[in-house]
Amino acid sequence: MKRRKFIKNSILGSTAITMPFILPSGRLFASTGSAMADHVVFVAFAGGVRQQESVLQRYLYDSQDYPSEGNILYNLLDGAPPTEKIVYGTDGVVDGDTPIPSILNQSLESQGVLFKEMVSSHAGHYGGLNTLLTGNYQYTQGLKSKSQMPTIFEYVRRHLGVPASKVWYIGNGIGNSIPLLDYSIHPDYGSQYGANFLAPTITFGNDGFNHLKNAKVYHPEDELAPMYKMKYFLDNVWYSQGRSLPNIGNTEEEKFEIKEFFKEMFEKTQQGVIAHPPVNGGELDAIGYACEVLKRFKPTLSVIYLSSVDVCHSNFTSYLRNLHRADHGVGHLWDFIQNQIPEMSGKTAIILAPEQGRNLESNNIVDANGFKAYDHSDQNTRRVFGIMAGPGIPSSLPSIGNEQNPVGDLLNITPTIAEILGFKEQLPGLTATNQSLFDLI
Amino acid sequence: MHIFNKYFLSFLIFIILFSSCKKDDPVYSINQIQANAYNANKTKLKSPSQFISILYANLFQKALSANELVEITRCIESVGDKELVHEVIISNFMSRNGVTLPSDSLMRADLEGFIEETYRRFYVRDITAAEREFFVNFFNANPDVSAEMVYTAFSLSNEYQFY
Repeated sequence: MKRRKFIKNSILGSTAITMPFILPSGRLFASTGSAMADHVVFVAFAGGVRQQESVLQRYLYDSQDYPSEGNILYNLLDGAPPTEKIVYGTDGVVDGDTPIPSILNQSLESQGVLFKEMVSSHAGHYGGLNTLLTGNYQYTQGLKSKSQMPTIFEYVRRHLGVPASKVWYIGNGIGNSIPLLDYSIHPDYGSQYGANFLAPTITFGNDGFNHLKNAKVYHPEDELAPMYKMKYFLDNVWYSQGRSLPNIGNTEEEKFEIKEFFKEMFEKTQQGVIAHPPVNGGELDAIGYACEVLKRFKPTLSVIYLSSVDVCHSNFTSYLRNLHRADHGVGHLWDFIQNQIPEMSGKTAIILAPEQGRNLESNNIVDANGFKAYDHSDQNTRRVFGIMAGPGIPSSLPSIGNEQNPVGDLLNITPTIAEILGFKEQLPGLTATNQSLFDLI
Repeated sequence: MHIFNKYFLSFLIFIILFSSCKKDDPVYSINQIQANAYNANKTKLKSPSQFISILYANLFQKALSANELVEITRCIESVGDKELVHEVIISNFMSRNGVTLPSDSLMRADLEGFIEETYRRFYVRDITAAEREFFVNFFNANPDVSAEMVYTAFSLSNEYQFY
């Protein structure tokens, strides 16, 4: 072979190996049907985030007509932080003047794929989160009622045969009906496939210390076994009336393990050694407890719901701070998984998406810095972003979508989780679309 | 006079005819029994706050304060597995002073009386014969079962969640 021909063949060969190609289905990457990762962590990010202060990195420019731009989410996104009028950090000489140092050496954007412009067709928190977890826009779904369509928790448990203690749903509180999304009322799914919901800042907060901490952990054989035997007899008698209670199906062993976990969390909380992010308090404590859940149970799927940026209704400065803190929390979570949980390190995918955007036009409320506040109801609320990173997820692609050409919808998150865990083909057609974000790359 | 007698006679025959054919009610010499199950009238699920306040009253024989009711309800809502969190809350109650529990020796001295009283306390109904037989046999076969364990099992049972 001549030298010229050898070089040509080598280039062609290496190109064929390295260049992705468009498959007949229109996908860039083949769906193997096998799992890309053993674990998925999905963060429903922050609670109503404007594109302008997040992926567009406009800081105060668009919202307050002040010429300061920059990236305040540098664990998530590539980009230099703002240099002027710093109010989003922790308190130093003046309030908020000290930005929190980045935790990740490489942003999640550069470790994975950024869907820069996605669509959310719901303008409410519960509706938006419902969409993220069910893959359906349930416009008639009100607060205080469970989803009518199955949640991703139920799909994972039913189609992967995963026990309850391997699926966790961690909220930063119990407001806005958030706890109700641990399972649906769909007749083919339901509580027996539900997630273990936990609002740790309450469970391990003052209320929990007063009423849960001193629980006796009964001996499994000597005490619990006869107690359960009596309970099962009583329940059998009751079952003859045809009424039973929803039950997510933790086995006796799983319940014992969770009670042991509770006990450990109370002790660690008292000792101040929970795996909280370096800057903590507020909903960042939910991240710390989420890290503890991951470390103990190594869940197949964990969903973490953050919502404190919703303060943007009345205080834009706090919105910026909470956005920056949420970024810090996610950076800590990803770093903790990679460095503190060997069983999950390198085997975990992370997905982030807000449940909705926020308005383009401000309301009439002005905070102490003279910044205008923003609600969520206009067209700008439809604009959201999404990031995913982890095994099998391409990392060298430019960001996808723009304002004129959005790519991806919150509806795609549920099929995406299913695809990462290798059971997308088994989804029973109850999601609005079977397309995952991978199908849109 | 003749006409009066005729009417009177017809009236008398009419009365005799209708009163003489009355059929007696059957008497089968069987005791009256309740055809429905004793728990059949419990159709409504207790809310978390109803569950907690009733549980507290059953265990402590007094009312729970409003503050504690709110705090404990929040604890229940913060954990998805309700059975698990109820178990934790009940065992917390059992750790407190003031729980009105019969001593184990008192329980063992009159097993039938204890279980009948437990059914009335927690289920607000009488025990059935089958239930009595199960529990008496169970207590005899498990001499280490305590009143606390029995109360915990009743508090965790599904019937206790309804009213």
